[in-house]
Amino acid sequence: MTHRMTHRIGIDVGGTFTDLFFWSQDRAPETFKVLSTPDDPSRGVLEGMRAIAEAHDLTLEELAAETGLVVHGTTVTTNACLTRGGASTGLITTPGVRDALEMRRGIRERQYDNRYTNVVPLVPRHLRLPVGGRLDAGGNELEPLNPDEVREAAALFRAEGGEAIAVCLMHSYADDRHERAVAELLRAELPDAWLSISSEVLPTIRFYERVSTTVTNAYVGPILRSYLAALGSKLAGIGFEGVLLIMQSNGGVALPDVVRDRPATTLLSGPAGGPRAAATYAGALGRDDCLLVDMGGTSFDASLVREGAAALGSGGELDRIRIALPMLDIATIGAGGGSVGWIDAGGLLRMGPQSAGAMPGPACYGRGGERPTCTDADLVLGYLDPDWFAGGKLPLFAERATAAIREHVAGPLEISEEEAAAGMYTVINTNMAHGVREITIKRGLDPREFPMVVAGGAGALHACAIAAELEIPSIIVPPTASTLCATGMLLCDLQHDFVRSCLGSLEALDLADLSSIVDELAAEGEGQLLREGAAETMHHVALDLRYLKQYHEVTVSIERGDLERGDLRAIAARFHQAHNRLYGYDLEEVGTGLELINVRVRSVGRSARPELPELPPGGAESDHALKGRRRAWLPARSRFGELPVYDGHALRPGNRLGGPALIERVDTTILVTTPFAAEVDPRGSVVLETGEASHA
Amino acid sequence: MPESRIDKILVSVLGRALKAIADEMSLTMEKTTRSPILCEAKDFVTGLYDAEGRMLEQTENLPILSFSLSPVCEHIARKFAGRIYPGDVFFHNDVFSLGNQNNDVAVFKPVFHGDRLVAWTAAKGHMADIGGAVRGGYNPNATEVWQEALRIPAVKVYERGELREDVWDLIFANIRLDIVQEDMRAEIGACTVGERRLLALIDKYGLDVFESHKWALFAATKKMMEAEIRIIPHGKYRGEATVYYDGKNPGSTYRIRVEVRVEDGGIVFDFSETDPQTNGFVNGTFTSSASACILTFLQMVNPDLPHNAGMTEPISMLIPEGTILNAAYPAATTFGNHLCPPLADSIIRALAPVIPERVTAGWNNLLCSLSTGDHPGRGEPYVDIMFMGLKGGSGATCDTDGYDHIGMIDASGGVLDQDYEMFEQMTPHRLIRHELLRDSAGPGRHRGGLGVETRYVVGSDDTQIVVFGDGDVEPAFGLEGGGDGTLNRIELRLPDGSVRVPTSKDLLTGIPKGTLYVQRAGGGGGFGDPKERPADRVRDEVRAGTLSVEAAREHYGVVVDPDTFELDTAATEGLRGRD
Repeated sequence: MTHRMTHRIGIDVGGTFTDLFFWSQDRAPETFKVLSTPDDPSRGVLEGMRAIAEAHDLTLEELAAETGLVVHGTTVTTNACLTRGGASTGLITTPGVRDALEMRRGIRERQYDNRYTNVVPLVPRHLRLPVGGRLDAGGNELEPLNPDEVREAAALFRAEGGEAIAVCLMHSYADDRHERAVAELLRAELPDAWLSISSEVLPTIRFYERVSTTVTNAYVGPILRSYLAALGSKLAGIGFEGVLLIMQSNGGVALPDVVRDRPATTLLSGPAGGPRAAATYAGALGRDDCLLVDMGGTSFDASLVREGAAALGSGGELDRIRIALPMLDIATIGAGGGSVGWIDAGGLLRMGPQSAGAMPGPACYGRGGERPTCTDADLVLGYLDPDWFAGGKLPLFAERATAAIREHVAGPLEISEEEAAAGMYTVINTNMAHGVREITIKRGLDPREFPMVVAGGAGALHACAIAAELEIPSIIVPPTASTLCATGMLLCDLQHDFVRSCLGSLEALDLADLSSIVDELAAEGEGQLLREGAAETMHHVALDLRYLKQYHEVTVSIERGDLERGDLRAIAARFHQAHNRLYGYDLEEVGTGLELINVRVRSVGRSARPELPELPPGGAESDHALKGRRRAWLPARSRFGELPVYDGHALRPGNRLGGPALIERVDTTILVTTPFAAEVDPRGSVVLETGEASHA
Repeated sequence: MPESRIDKILVSVLGRALKAIADEMSLTMEKTTRSPILCEAKDFVTGLYDAEGRMLEQTENLPILSFSLSPVCEHIARKFAGRIYPGDVFFHNDVFSLGNQNNDVAVFKPVFHGDRLVAWTAAKGHMADIGGAVRGGYNPNATEVWQEALRIPAVKVYERGELREDVWDLIFANIRLDIVQEDMRAEIGACTVGERRLLALIDKYGLDVFESHKWALFAATKKMMEAEIRIIPHGKYRGEATVYYDGKNPGSTYRIRVEVRVEDGGIVFDFSETDPQTNGFVNGTFTSSASACILTFLQMVNPDLPHNAGMTEPISMLIPEGTILNAAYPAATTFGNHLCPPLADSIIRALAPVIPERVTAGWNNLLCSLSTGDHPGRGEPYVDIMFMGLKGGSGATCDTDGYDHIGMIDASGGVLDQDYEMFEQMTPHRLIRHELLRDSAGPGRHRGGLGVETRYVVGSDDTQIVVFGDGDVEPAFGLEGGGDGTLNRIELRLPDGSVRVPTSKDLLTGIPKGTLYVQRAGGGGGFGDPKERPADRVRDEVRAGTLSVEAAREHYGVVVDPDTFELDTAATEGLRGRD
């Protein structure tokens, strides 16, 4: 890295907007937002970088040459799964078990809902092919692999245009020789196919989890590979020589090569940066826990930060597809600025989940969109300034918004356009409040105890309404709200999770063997982290342990020192404690022995993080920032009123103002409604409080 | 506390917080138990009850077990009134004091806030053994309860935190397998987790607020259930279903008869005209039948109702003692849980004509087996219920296909297959096949759920296989022109070339290693005329191999080329009688 490569850029590609966070040493960070280009998202990335370059009077090439790090979050794999738009994928498996993927152990998650239907599998049944060969539970060969059947399967995949192939054979966690042989044959037969081998993706016992994860990995592999190739060549084309890192679902970042080989680790790449940034802004206000709501153009994501860290999900599922890899706990619903308003068969007003996306976009963008969206409603309600959207770079056409609302909502309901817009505003807020319930109340947590950090361009217009519905007394709108996930990407650590099966009684274990496995995994992690330019590395070791004859494990963190000292007693004590804390009892006194199942290593690499700068304080007065008044809808009073409009960029830490009011920034507008009052914090966050202490 | 002090958001938070606790207790059971019946299949339930035993919330992996917890909790609270202390732990399985099945052994733990009894936590699971004449508990030859199981009326195994070792030893001296002790410890652990979480919740909001909002939650839930019932027109509706073979008299049949009476905001299920009890083990208990009734009705209402005392208040049931659904002391009753499918059929048949949009066609009935023996590799006994084999398809609704491989209605997809690799680790058997079963779904505009075929090679000599269930005589029924599903069948192909087909209630002993076990679980019933099913969906199923070319033509009038899987549009239109 040359001394001139001082810039860092976080890039979050969403369904509608591509967000960028630009940070350069000794300068205040800046945010940028451009429209996404769904046909080739890497084009939007370049457009975004061009916007940064222009703002700094640089050419794109000059910016690229001075940039040392680009961290990128992408939704290409997520969308491929959700829309079933992934690669044409085949599965090679053991005879007799090809339906495990589809049958999902026979679960119906909603037991009393007879309209809840089976999940459509990522690989259709006629492309799930058995090949002869069998190992037993100890990894011993019962029947040799039948190479002819592998070749026949390859021929069928070729004929069907298969792009990716997953290989998952019974007991391959115990011995991977059959899977390796299948992989070799497939590489010879179908050199262009993208292969996902279960003993590489997830070498642990439990066939269903392994086959589901391996298949998902295959399904999104070719898409991620071609996307990363396109992105890499575009960046190289403008002379970028710095490090490109990709956001992973576990909240860490990694090199493109690394995620390209394990594409299933990017399934929540897009929103995974947000919680880190939310934790940083809330932490600056002394809050260790917070709720993050991110309202983009297409989707609304809600997640939780507990004790300063993003909450990891226990389920490991995406849209009912099991993915047995560490993933953040993020609830996503189809609600955003582009959500379309429509009237259902029963005559009720609905919002989304369809979105107008970036193209054609909301009607008011004037790009051919004719359906009324949330953004159109926000414009008609006076919340957006048609001449100052995106700082004036994207003029809005109010008459088109009104016309679309008239035709599709107000007309059918026989109400005024403004009433219809107010209805659209209320309905989408209710939908988003439901998303917040998913992540809090459904888990038995009271949302009122968490300050709500608001992200996304449209989020701050709707935050007070969502908070009011859930009685959340405190809202934080960070200065980088509209691009918070991109901000978070520059704050995340490099992180890699490794796991290896290692079955045996703990007492009889050869600690030297165990240590060498740990060393091997840690060395792999260290190697990856060094390639990624980590300044400081750490390797956290954990063991999956259980009592003899139990089927499930408890993951217990251990010190490498315990291993080196051979201190089994310390390891056992950690397990007994964890078992009691989680499950209400332990068998230390009964004297039940322990079994080891898996060894885990999480390798974490730190690199320099941007400091969020503190701004010079101002007084409580905010009149200096008042830039005018605008007619806008007052939800609490169900009528229009004249609202003061403040210039968000002129507000200083300590400035206070009461609701109702609008605070405009280039990339976001904050609607402050009663009973909320706003105050600017030292890092530029606008903090909205009702004045009520948090509920007991 | 006056209505005005009720915080409506807190009512929902509390409702969900209780559900989260019940779920965490369920997770504790899943993660810590040893028997695959519990940790793999999740044949257990967990719940929270107030001081008097009213249901606060439950996690109902197997709902047939779950609606007897509240009655037993009430029974214990009354019976031990004045003698319940912090740190107590009760066991219970007795079917003549409201238990549902002998093998389903419950733990109840009182929760004290300070010195006041405020609630109970409970966990109940199907134990791998419960004494009696047959390992694993299913004894088709039993005629009275003592031949089936050790009876455990409510008994304290811990008092004030102290283990009553003599009581513990007495119980486990009468149970064959050591893992049952471990699994009962897991149940106690689950109850302890529930107790910790519940106390934290009460401490957070205060006992008075907790209590007042509990009542508000009951009231709100009751109102929701009443509104659901009001959708059904007032009236009396009758339905019937048949139970085939009592395990003793070949060809015997028994009728379940229900009259459903819908009144203002309330519903009554009256089984007074049901046939008398059998002299075998094919008998229900009051709570197994009541659970069957509730869980069937819950599938006809809003699936998102909270589960608490308010939910069940508008539902009443008349299940007279002496009928096959509520056998009198000291009858054998181990089969009782499995009377749920025909009981459900009788209710569905009663209500299908009135609320066709809220019912399903018939579900595949349960036919199940349990294998026990000594694992040669591990040198210890094993007990395995063939969960993956028993799960057939559900009935279709008026606008959706049935659910493939869901299993009996009493579990409704809450009970899971064993994981294949864990199955081969923990039993000596080797899995040969577990696949969706072609042509098993009842045809229809919306087809029934598919059944499965399961094959495994028995891996221990002198293996005992108990078979229990039904569905080998009458298939899952179709509705409104939809066809029936297929029948259940189990057969054993012995190494000497002979084939044994067990009856639906049978005890097979001395099965040798190397025997091939073959089971077909049938599909669910279809809904509506199969000729109205879109031809391309039929074609897709032919290509997938879940529907044969012949069945596509015969039932759906769809002609598909067997080699290319192309749809023959002209021939199809000819068969379907369209222009």
